[in-house]
Amino acid sequence: MADLLPNPDPDSGDGNSTPRWVKVFGVIAIVLIVLFVILHLAGGGFGHHTPW
Amino acid sequence: MTPRLRKVALTAHVTFSVGWLGAVAAFLALAVAGLASRDAQMVRAVYLAMNLTAWSVIVPLSLASPLTGIVQSLGTSWGLFRHYWVLVKFLITIPATILLLLHMRPIGHLARVVAETTLARGDLAGLRIQLVANAAAAMVVLIVATALSVFKPPGLTPYGRRKQREERTGSQ
Repeated sequence: MADLLPNPDPDSGDGNSTPRWVKVFGVIAIVLIVLFVILHLAGGGFGHHTPW
Repeated sequence: MTPRLRKVALTAHVTFSVGWLGAVAAFLALAVAGLASRDAQMVRAVYLAMNLTAWSVIVPLSLASPLTGIVQSLGTSWGLFRHYWVLVKFLITIPATILLLLHMRPIGHLARVVAETTLARGDLAGLRIQLVANAAAAMVVLIVATALSVFKPPGLTPYGRRKQREERTGSQ
């Protein structure tokens, strides 16, 4: 179960802020999404998704 | 949920989720074999097997895993939106399922091609490389989801903090 008491550890947040690991995760996710979009806009990356 | 029902739901979720991970690992191995092999019969067998595996195992598991996860989270005090680890799992698993469904067409196309003709080494190379890359990416996502489930890194969302305050107020 989640620890209900405020936790001063910055990795887990102080109880009122977003934990560090979530912020790091979010940055990584944004970078990957941007890369994904760029690859697809650049012509599908490795090839076409679906030969129609 | 009763404790027994909670355990049933958890067992289902773990089974489907880890099964999905294992199936994608096998799919990745097949994709690499299909790309690297010089044996035409092996290549044919690989892409036929990938199509069968994807439709009969991976797609059902990719639907069952998040579904059981949602049922389990909403049926317990963890909730779906209260804890960051649950929310992040949800946010990475749902797009993984959607992208898988969108990528089923090229898998089927390769299977049809090898069923009708012999695929030369460089034929449809981009598509074959894409399958390897997609499977590898799916593995990373599922391993991350598994790690989140085990480690359960702490952190309540703003919604979770509000619900916690409401429950404390209600219990006083």
